[in-house]
Order: sequence, then structure tokens, then C-alpha cells
Amino acid sequence: MILLFILLIPFITGLILLVFRNAATVRSIALASSIANLVITLSLVFSANTASYTSGLMNFTGIQLALGYDGISLIMILLTNLLFPFIILAGFKREQKQVHMLYALILLTQTALIGVFLAQNALLFYIFWELSLIPVYFILLLWGGEGREKITLKFFIYTLAGSLFLLFGIIYLYQLTPGLHTTDFSAFRQLIIPENTQIWLFWILFVAFAIKMPVFPFHTWQSSTYNMASTQGVMILAGVMTKMGIYGALRFLFPIVPLGVHFWQNTVIVLGLIGVIYASVIAFRQTNLKKLIAFSSMAHISLMAAAMFVLNYYSLQGLLFQVISHGVTIVALFYMVNLIEERTGTLDLGQMGGIKLNAPNMAILLLLVVMGSIALPLTAGFVGEFLMIAGLFQQSIWFAVVGGMTMILSAVYMLYAYQRIMLGDKKLSFEAITDIRPMEYLFLLPLIAIILVLGVYPQPIFNLMETSVSTMQYLLTPVSAVLPAVY
Amino acid sequence: MSALILTTVLGIILLYLGFAKNKTLLAPVAISGLLVTVYLSLKDWGLNSTHFHNMVVFDNFSIAFNVSMIIITILIFVFGIDYYKMMDQHVAEQYALMIFALVGAYMMTSFSNLIMLFLGIEILSIPLYILAGGKKSSYRSNEASFKYFLLGSFATAFFLFGIALVYGASASFYLPEIKTYIAQFNGNLPPMLLIGLLFIILGVAFKVAAAPFHFWTPDVYEGAPTLVTAFMATVVKTAGFAAFYRLLGIGLLPLPLPLEKALWVMTGLSLLIGNLAALKQSNFKRLFAYSSIAHSGFIMLAMLSQHDSSASVLLYYTFVYSLATIPMFIIFILVKRESNGQEQISAFRGLFKEKPWIAVFATILLMSLAGIPLTAGFIAKYQVFVLSIGQGYLWISIFAIIMAIVGVYYYFFVVREIFTEGEHAKPIVVTTINASLIIICGVAVVVLGIFAWNLLV
Repeated sequence: MILLFILLIPFITGLILLVFRNAATVRSIALASSIANLVITLSLVFSANTASYTSGLMNFTGIQLALGYDGISLIMILLTNLLFPFIILAGFKREQKQVHMLYALILLTQTALIGVFLAQNALLFYIFWELSLIPVYFILLLWGGEGREKITLKFFIYTLAGSLFLLFGIIYLYQLTPGLHTTDFSAFRQLIIPENTQIWLFWILFVAFAIKMPVFPFHTWQSSTYNMASTQGVMILAGVMTKMGIYGALRFLFPIVPLGVHFWQNTVIVLGLIGVIYASVIAFRQTNLKKLIAFSSMAHISLMAAAMFVLNYYSLQGLLFQVISHGVTIVALFYMVNLIEERTGTLDLGQMGGIKLNAPNMAILLLLVVMGSIALPLTAGFVGEFLMIAGLFQQSIWFAVVGGMTMILSAVYMLYAYQRIMLGDKKLSFEAITDIRPMEYLFLLPLIAIILVLGVYPQPIFNLMETSVSTMQYLLTPVSAVLPAVY
Repeated sequence: MSALILTTVLGIILLYLGFAKNKTLLAPVAISGLLVTVYLSLKDWGLNSTHFHNMVVFDNFSIAFNVSMIIITILIFVFGIDYYKMMDQHVAEQYALMIFALVGAYMMTSFSNLIMLFLGIEILSIPLYILAGGKKSSYRSNEASFKYFLLGSFATAFFLFGIALVYGASASFYLPEIKTYIAQFNGNLPPMLLIGLLFIILGVAFKVAAAPFHFWTPDVYEGAPTLVTAFMATVVKTAGFAAFYRLLGIGLLPLPLPLEKALWVMTGLSLLIGNLAALKQSNFKRLFAYSSIAHSGFIMLAMLSQHDSSASVLLYYTFVYSLATIPMFIIFILVKRESNGQEQISAFRGLFKEKPWIAVFATILLMSLAGIPLTAGFIAKYQVFVLSIGQGYLWISIFAIIMAIVGVYYYFFVVREIFTEGEHAKPIVVTTINASLIIICGVAVVVLGIFAWNLLV
């Protein structure tokens, strides 16, 4: 029942918001609902018993409204519900048109995302997966920046194309289930699929997730979409929706097509590592701050994709830890980008400089967030990336070498960008720039606190995923039995 | 049977009402008459009544399809109240002709004899030839009528020829007898029978606008008055597929190999041509014409992969498709009126700004047509894929999925226009009836998508 609450609170609040016209009221209600949801989620995190919910109301060809969670879902839901209050807060005291509709859509996105992470049934998962796309599409289309019509359509079709292949995969698996067909994950996990089928089925399933993350070469929608998206839109995309891809891969690929995973393991790792280098180099060459952050996000996500396929304990732990840390960091970064853009009126790095002189506090906060993104020790990013690289090392030393480049390269382009934004001589036109306002502290300080605290004391998150990571290990054992050479 | 008689009488009553020159009476009479017909049809549920020496069989299949078509016609009539207000002449004939076409549609869902199928197709088609030319002064409308009539006559001629050949071979018009006759050849049909069957299928394929017999569709859809286009896209298609299903089910299954191949080619071509050609359209009616060809492809995919269990999918798909298509045409009429009769997709520009609620529901309807989850259109496509993948037709399923992606693309062209800023020459006027019906259809599409997955129990 508690899961149904978590799922429905944002949805119902979103509907209620549609009747309000006052912008401040709408935002406060949205914020209150998302905080309430966060509190309920935290109670779930700290409670000893697990909850699940199955509705008899909806039970048709293969689909059932069955909600439940394990450690992986819990991390994802924690991330979602942690970030949404901030995403809503990011809109406070800002000029926005049709506020009631915007926040209704944001909350609808939240519902869909929670649904994705809670679904215990593949078709239900798919429905929420697609459903999350629709409000985001409209958030981007109606509140986006220049060229939004073309870019949003590309984004929409690109991601939907992947999803439809996922649908094909789900129906195919549905037909394989014995007896009365079902799309329950538990039934899918027990399927024994021949290896040559798994080899092609892997890609049918993986494409949707690869596009969502995005993994090289499925990334071409990403930078233009991020660039034109509104701040809140890009926070949803980069903070949470990329994690849908990771979650989907963990849910579908490893338990259901383990032999396919083994067959394509190195291919995907190499693709991920290509993505790391490729995105980092492009990020370095960017003069547009928002695009730079977009590519840096892609570089980090690519490392996560590579680490996911290493299939060992370290990298899996690092991956799940990095899910939280990347989400928090990227949201803070995009918020910073928004602050800088508001103050300077540009995203062009060439025109910035010397902002530190007027806004010293902002410079300090940005530095902290940038440190988190670079994965400097004592920040959350370090814990995650270190574990992932340690995992890659076990697979092959060369993988670790290339993977390790993420840290180095991200230091290069992030610090270079930081230098161009904050340091140097003051530009004349930036005379009137103000420092951070209280509302903005309210946004940034908690996120930075999370980055730093998790960097020093990551244990709570590890405890959270302990059981599920070992579950994953257990799921992978049959494979090593089949292919002993791998281990 | 009583439903069929009442509908015929209703058409004649409407014609006579035309003499009274009182337009306000027409819609209420037609709608209440059809509601009674729904009741009469449902009364026959489960009886399997046969008439005219077993030439028509009103089984549950045909009743379900008839009721679905009557509901769709009622929807069209309710929307028509506003539409026909502008027209001063021959309104009664419009209503009467649609009702007559509906009678033909009944026969197409309930035949068990080739002659009955032929009569049904003709009774359906002839009113449509007239209706397509409804705008007498419009060049386009005349062209549509003429084109439809000419090509339709060709198709009918082929169809009749096919019946004659099959009769020549099997000495029967009754499909069950033809089926036993075919069965004795074990798939190696004599050429005369084979060609006859092929011609019969061709005649029906023409009606459902399956490629490569689709060439009339875009021109006729574009030229015909929009409400007639809506009727053609929904009721005629539903009737055509019901006839197709019956023809295969009681007459031809298991399909002889050459016929099966021909039908698969038709499915593939419909999916390909419908979707790819729709991409290039800037005229809304032509876009919907090509997308209706594409939908024919999906329905055929279901029908061919697993015929026995496809009846409910067929009903669901056609009903849900109709439920979304008709309000879209109405919304199109509304925006077209206020943008100087412009029929481009860009007529939708600024709809969101002017009428946000209509825009939201238009989006839901378009999402249903595109097959996005939580709408009935998704469930319809899902069920089609369950059938085709379940039978192991993996390649054509993947092909159909790629085509579904293309489908999303062009439907979202329209969505994009709705949410693009733009100005209309005059403010859009939506009457209360139209608005509430659009909302009802939108809600119905979502509710059907979440709860009612199986209409034919």
C-alpha cells in the first residue's frame, strides 16, 4: 500500500495543480508533495520490512499492477524522490509560463519514473517507461529553448524507437513463458533461453536502454536536447532518466539473457570506453557551457555502462553508488549553469570570466560541485568511480587505464571551464553581477552536503544495496558455470 | 435481423423527413433510431439466428461488429449536428445515405454466402460514391466521387468475376461448401479456383484500402466532405475487415499457399507504403488517408498470423481506431473553418494557446493512433504483436515495429503543430456538444486502454 502512495502522490497532486493559477501556490504545493514523497521513501529505506502491492483490478493478457522493490529499485527511487524536490525548487522565483501545467507535467514524470522503478511486471515497466517520455516531451516542447520543435521530435522518436524494440522483446519473452503466459519479471527470470536466441535478444532489449543512457553510438540526440531544454527539463533528463537506462539494463539483461550479456560483454565495455574518451574530448572542445556539461555527463554515464558489464562485485557497487552521486552532482551542475546564464545572459565560455570577483561565494560553491563531478577524493564521485575502475581493472588492465581517463579528462575540461568562467579579469558587462541569493543556497547547500558526506561516509548506501548486489552476483553464477573460462 | 430492417426503414424515414425541410429533426431521429437498433442487435446476442436460407448469419461476431459500427455512426451524427448547420441543401439525403451504407455494412459482417457479401459491398459502396461527391460545387469533391466510383466499379467487376470463377469450379455460393471443396485439393488448387479466390480477396482488399489497392484512398479522402471521410475511414474500414475476417474464417482457411503469400505481400506493402507515404504529407486528410492504409497493414498482420484468436483484436483495433479518428477529423473541421479552409497540418497551429483542453484531448487521441501506452491504441498494437510474435513471425513483426515508429513520427508532426505558436484568422468556436464529445472520446480511449482490453467476450 505504501508503494501505491509513493506512486500516486505526485500524480494526484499533479492533477490538483491544474486548477490553481497562482504560480507561487502551485510551486509550493508541488514542493510539499515531493518532500512528502521523499519522507515516505526514507521511511521505506530505514524500515526493516519490505513492502509490495498487487492490485487485482488490472489483470489482463500478461500485465498486472504489481509493485515491489529490491535494493536496486530502492536506490533508484531514493534518487528520484531525492532529486524531484530540488528540480521543483529550481523553478522557484523564476519567470515561467503556464506554471500549473509545467508542475503538473513534472509531477507526472515523477509518477512515471517511480512506476518504472517499482514495476514487478515487464509490461507494466514498459508502460511507465513510455509514459515517462510523454510529459518530458511536453516539458521540452513547451518550455524549451531555441529550435525546440525539431530537437524534441528527434529526441522523442529516437527514444521511442528503442522502446518499441524493447516491447518486441517483452512480447517475445511473454510468449516463451510456460503455461498461462505472463510478463512478470519473476517468470522471465526462470526462462531458459538458448544461447543463440539470447545473442540477438540482447540487442533488442539493450537498444532502448543504450539510447536512454546514452551509450556511444546511440548518443546523438543528447547534446542538442540538453542544450535547448529548460533547466528543470535537463535536470530530469540527466539526473533521473539516464538512470532509467541503467536500471532497465540491470533488470532485463543480466537476469534474463545472461548468456547474451557474456557474449556481448566486451563489445559493450569497449563502446562505453569509446564513449568516455569521445565525450570527454568533445566536452573539452566545447565553448557552450551547457553542452560541455551534457558531454561530461555522457562521459560519466559511459563509464557506468562499461562498469555495468564487467560483472563483478566492485563495479556493481560502484555503479549503484555512482547512480546517486552522478544524479546529485549533475543536478547541482545544471543549476549552477542556470545561475551563471541568468547572471551573464550567455552560455558562451568565451564571453565569461572574472565572475569570482563579484560573486565569491558562488565561485566556492561551483568549485565544490566541480570537484564532485571530477571525482576528487572525499567527494561522492570518487567512491563510485574508484570502485568502477577497480572493477574494470579486474576485467582487463587496459579497460582500467582507459576508464581511469574519465577522471583525468574530466579534471582537464571541468577545471578549464571553471577557469574560463570564474577566474581571470572582470568583464565590463559583468559589473552588476550579484552573488548567490538565499533561495539558491537552499538549493545548493543540501546537494553539496550530500556530495561531501557520501564522499566521506558512503556506508549507508552500501548497506542499502548489499543484498541486491549479492543477488545480482547470484544471478550471474549460472553463467560462470556455463563459461568457466571467463572467471 | 430486426436491426437490419429497422435501419433500412430509418433511412427511408429520414429521406421523407427531408421533404419537411426541417433540419433540426434529422439528427435526433437518426440518433434515437440507431440507439434502438443497438438494443435490437444486442437482443440477438448468442442466438446465432440465420436468415434467407442461411445466407446471412447473425452470430456474436457480426453483432459485436454491427454494434461497434452503429456506435461510431452515432458519434458521426452527433458531431454532424454542428457540421450540417452550415449546409442548407440535401442534409436529409446525407443522413439517409450514411444509414443505407450502414445496412450494407451489416450484411458484410454477417454473410455466409458470396452473393450476400457482394450485395453488402455494393449497398455500402453506392451511397459512398454519392456521399463523396457531397460538395457539388467543389472540384475536388467531384473528382473524389468520380475516382472512387470508377475504381470501385473495377474492383466490383473483379470481385464478381471472382465469384463467377469460384462458382464455376465449386458449383456453390455458400462459403462453408466452398471450404470443403477447397479442402479436397490439399493446397494444389486448380487455376480457375485460385484466380477466382484471388479476385474475391482483391475486391475486399480494395474496400479496406490495403496496398497495392490503395490508390483511391488519398484522393478520395482528401476530396470528400470531411465528415464523409471520417465515415469512410472508420465504418467502412470496420465493415471491410469484418468481411475479410469472415471470408477467411468460414471460407478459405487454411489458406492455400499462393493466397497466403499474396496476403502477406499485401500486409507488408500496406505497412510500408502507408507509413512512408504519410511521412511526406502536409495535407491532414491525406496524412490520415495514408495512415489508415498503415493501420490496415497492422490489422492484416493480426488476422493473418493467428486467425482464430484475432476476432477480438480486430474488433478492438477497429473500434479504438475509429474512436480516435472521428474526433480528430472533427477537430480538424473546427480549425479548418477558422483558417480559411486551409487543409494543411499547419491549420492546427496555435490550437493549444487558444483551446488548451481541446489540444490536450487531441494529443491523447493522436497518441492513441500512434500507439503510445496508457491509450487504447497501444493495447491494440500490443495485441497485434502478441499474435504475430506468438506465431513466430519475427521478421515481419520487427518490420511492423519499425513502421510503428515511423507512424509515431508523423502523428507527432500534428502534435507539434498543435503546440506551436500560431494565429488563426478567426477564433475557434467549439460547441458544447462537440467539446463534450471530444472529451468523452478522449477519456474513452484512455479508459479502454487501461481497463477494457477485450471487447468480444
